[in-house]
Amino acid sequence: MTLSEVELEHEPSTKPPRAARGATWGLTWHGVRTVAVLELRQRVRSTRWVVALVVWFVVVGGITLLTSGAISTSASGESGPGPSAGPLLFGAVTFLVLGLGLLVTPTLASTGINGDRNAGTLATLQVTLLTPAEIAAGKLLAAWAVACAFLVASLPFLGIALAMEGTPGTALLRVVLLVAVLLACVCGIGLGFSALTTRTAGSTVLTFLTVAALTLLTPILFGLTFPTISRTQEVPVSSGPMSFDDESGTAACEVTVQERSVAHTERTWWLLGINPFVVLADGAGTTEHARFADNSNDPLGMIRDGVRQLRAGPAIPVDECWLDSSVEDRQDTVSRAPVWPWGLAVDVLLGAAGYVVAVRRLRIPQRTLPRGTRVA
Amino acid sequence: MSSTTPPPSATGDGIVVRDLHRAFGTVRALDGVGLTARAGAVTALVGPNGSGKTTLLLVLAGLLVPDRGSVSVAGHDPVAHGPAARARTGWMPDTFGTWDSLTAREVLLTFAATYRLSPAAAAARATDLLATVHLSEYADRPASVLSRGQKQRLGLARALVHDPSVLLLDEPASGLDPRSRVDLRILLRRLADEGRTVLVSSHVLSELDEMADDAVFLSKGRTVVPDAAATGTTSWHVRALSLDALTTWLTSTGATWQPDGAAVTQTGAGGVLLDMDGDDDAARLVRDAVAAGVPLVSLVPAAGTLEQAYLTLEEERR
Repeated sequence: MTLSEVELEHEPSTKPPRAARGATWGLTWHGVRTVAVLELRQRVRSTRWVVALVVWFVVVGGITLLTSGAISTSASGESGPGPSAGPLLFGAVTFLVLGLGLLVTPTLASTGINGDRNAGTLATLQVTLLTPAEIAAGKLLAAWAVACAFLVASLPFLGIALAMEGTPGTALLRVVLLVAVLLACVCGIGLGFSALTTRTAGSTVLTFLTVAALTLLTPILFGLTFPTISRTQEVPVSSGPMSFDDESGTAACEVTVQERSVAHTERTWWLLGINPFVVLADGAGTTEHARFADNSNDPLGMIRDGVRQLRAGPAIPVDECWLDSSVEDRQDTVSRAPVWPWGLAVDVLLGAAGYVVAVRRLRIPQRTLPRGTRVA
Repeated sequence: MSSTTPPPSATGDGIVVRDLHRAFGTVRALDGVGLTARAGAVTALVGPNGSGKTTLLLVLAGLLVPDRGSVSVAGHDPVAHGPAARARTGWMPDTFGTWDSLTAREVLLTFAATYRLSPAAAAARATDLLATVHLSEYADRPASVLSRGQKQRLGLARALVHDPSVLLLDEPASGLDPRSRVDLRILLRRLADEGRTVLVSSHVLSELDEMADDAVFLSKGRTVVPDAAATGTTSWHVRALSLDALTTWLTSTGATWQPDGAAVTQTGAGGVLLDMDGDDDAARLVRDAVAAGVPLVSLVPAAGTLEQAYLTLEEERR
């Protein structure tokens, strides 16, 4: 059998029309629920998920207690009643929950489709009246529900941190919602990879890599691109005091034009903006102080202010006078527009892309088969 | 999409396949298949390994797009009108998994829900089907404890859950014990008698012989018409208490017969092989032989028609 024969074979192929859009993208709650319940029953009963939840609870709880212990020890060592340790603990627990969630969630969704295909249960589901969108949404919902169970298990510790004062109550709600949405994005990405790859190990690794790229690679890239966005240019520098006004008794800063290396972070700040941790820190809505110094006990607030400052780019004129309240002025000139909606939008887009890929891959009848796969 | 149980009157369409082609890369799995499976009949799909049976069933089940050709399942094109065709099609693949953590009843209830049956109807249907495939005592035990044959029966029940008018069964008898095979045969017969179209692929030809009304032969992706099936003549094994009486009478009626090769017993009982055209001839022979006083013992096909036909394809095995 030669290649040319096959080409001839394909030439006159009158391609039958695809099924209507509704047959692919139609969504009913009934269908989604059916798949989700099926997935949850299968997953919940087959894996030792209660054990996993208990382990999670113990780990998060242990680290929370250790952190709070460490914080109170170091705080008591310092002189006087320092700033409340509440925001510090809240930030630590929040990042811990997100970090562990990002570690656990990829394994939940990334075997949803290729795992079923390997087990021989996918095709029997595809030939039913469920639409591909319903199958994918049901699997996504089930994986997300399990991820949220882990989130709920960490609620007590977020509550403890909240009880230590210094953190507004709305921050808890915002953090939980943001983590839930971010984990849903990871579920979507995992589902997409599980539809693309044949082996479950492959899709899990790819999902982990994507999550790692978002969380670890973005700060690294930001650091690596820092030299390229830095350039030496002439900028007005406010230095001093060069003159002292005898009459008013105030010192005046002198502005001179000097050559300085200026980093235009307004070009690369978005690398940090799409980082889930930055999204969470920016969106957490911990108490906003106008003063930089007041943030020292609030890691979320520090990241938030830092990213917003990077977004604003270099402050020109460069202030090296430090005589008056210029630092505070600078803080006030930095836009307070939140970063997280943009970052979250990018993450949600990635998750949505995974979902769309999964739906498209679940469409039947199939025209082409992935290499090395059987339909059933 | 809302109606999933078409009335029996709407089941008269069967399966019509014309000039079907499907290639996987350079392998032409289907290379001109044409067949008609009547409603109300069991149609056997016979062919060597790799002849395209499973690919054909995948196209019929609406999972694969054919490169060329037309398909109609219960009056619907599974490619252009997938949901409509799938609502009327029950498909049981040759290999399939079950959700091990679900009980047999939950598996059926889940599939009933995927076909949008109401919960009440689904519950009744599941109980019904579990009884049909003799899995009632396993209804509430996880599917992981089921044996291979029991899973196979559960798979059959699953394919029937939405009361399909067309049944596509890929090797349904594999892994079944003899009792279950008989049950399967009776069940498929009953389903066909209810007006459904039943297309069965199997390697157990003697069994297909007993339940199939029609047969379709596949070889190298093409439907072929074997010689034996074309002529319709089959060899029958006739035994009588007295071989002499039988042969004398047969010779007097002008029939051509051959010795069956078995030794004649001490009492003179023995048998001959006889070519006849179909069941009508066989019935006539019995009537005439009894009327003529021949002590007839048995009259059976010497070998299954399907087996005879299949063996003519055997050399094309790949």
